[in-house]
Parts: sequence; structure tokens; C-alpha cells
Amino acid sequence: MNPFVKFMASTAGRIVRIVAGLILIALGLLVVHGVGGIVLAIVGLVPLVAGLFDFCVFAPLFGAPLSGPKIRSGK
Amino acid sequence: MNLDEFLERLHRNPRPVVVDFWAPWCTPCRAVEPVLAEVGADYTLRVDVWKVNADEQPELLRALHLYGIPTLIAFHDGREVGRRTGVSTAPALAGLFASALSGQAPAASTPPLAERLLRLGAGTGLVGLGLWSGPSALGWLILGAGGLLAFTALYDRCPLYRALFVRWRDRFGRQQPC
Repeated sequence: MNPFVKFMASTAGRIVRIVAGLILIALGLLVVHGVGGIVLAIVGLVPLVAGLFDFCVFAPLFGAPLSGPKIRSGK
Repeated sequence: MNLDEFLERLHRNPRPVVVDFWAPWCTPCRAVEPVLAEVGADYTLRVDVWKVNADEQPELLRALHLYGIPTLIAFHDGREVGRRTGVSTAPALAGLFASALSGQAPAASTPPLAERLLRLGAGTGLVGLGLWSGPSALGWLILGAGGLLAFTALYDRCPLYRALFVRWRDRFGRQQPC
């Protein structure tokens, strides 16, 4: 299993994704104005939701399953 | 088979039973099958698994107030002790088997502590961002999403939710067949 995917599926990786998502949403809402800000906030929702609901969007690119529990169990 | 015949068979069975109501055309039923086989293997000779084709037993489904498949019902001494409808995870099915074995209703699933903290942290962050961004539609949306997320971290500890949930379950929840 790819070490990057393994890290992202771990609790630390989930926290990183949630924080990254919050930062992107904050940038989109507070720093970048207009359509760009809304797009940035929506992009930020992806890692936030993925971290919260324990799935890894990029894992299939590395041949790993989408589900966080499955990645952690090595299936 | 009517309800009486079904209950008679349940009573005659020496072991607790988990009944899988399925249909050949039902895709989610096929998704549940390998999980059920995996969990069921852990309970071999302790809990029996019966499969009932929903298309062939409409009368039984009506009698059990079963309106969707896949549905798995756990029976202990002929008495329903738990039921799950839809695609279930292995831990959820293991809980159903455990309740068939013990005769106790499955414990309410509550999020683990780490999950609670993640949801609470993210929810609070979103509420903060919503408040900070000022009165705009997007700000209100973020605020609402954050509030909802924070609530999912603590819903099972909210007395109002618990009171409403009990009423809802009593009113629309499963009916005991005997």
C-alpha cells in the first residue's frame, strides 16, 4: 500500500485533511472574494467531507480502495 | 408461509436465527451477502442464518411490517430482538448477531471519541467561519452546516433528541411479532 495513502487514511491524515479543508473554506470566504472565493470554499469542502466521513478521494489513483477503514485494514 | 408458520419454525429451531429478507433483483442485497457470510461464519453453530426470498413471501413481509430489502432480523427464542434495513457494515451485522445470541436489543451505535472530536472540531470551525464571514447567504449556509456537524458529534447525549427518538421509534419502529 502506498505510504501517502496509508498516512491520509490514518487519524493524523484525516485531521490534516479536515484542517486543510477548513483553511481553504476560510480563504474562500474571508480572503478571496467573488466567484473565486466560492470556488475555493467548495474545493475546500472536498477534503473536509472526505476527512470527516473517512474516505480518501485520491486512493483509487494509487490502486487503493476509497474507504478509509478498508485502507487501514489493508484490504 | 404465514406469520404463525414462520414463528413456529423459529420456536422449533434450537439456535437463535438471523433472517435475511432479500430478492434476486435487489442490488443492495447482493452487497450485503458477502458481509453476512463473513460475519455469519464467526457465529457458526451458535446463530443460524435463514434466507427468505421477499418475492415469494409477501404475506410474511406484510405481517412483519417489512417495507424494504435487504432487511435482516435477529430472533432469539422466536422473539425479534433487532432489525436492520439497507446495506449494513460488518460491525453493525456483528451487533445484530450478538443480539440474536444474547436476546438483548443491539446497543445504540454511538460515534467513537475520536470521531466525536473530529466532528466537533470541524463543526465548531465552520460555525466560527460562518460567523466571521458576516451576514451573507454563504455565511449562513456554512454556519448551519457547522451546527449540524457539531450536533452529529453529540446527538446521542442530547436529552431532547433522545426523547424525540424514543417517541418516534415507539410510533414508527418495528413491531414485535410475538
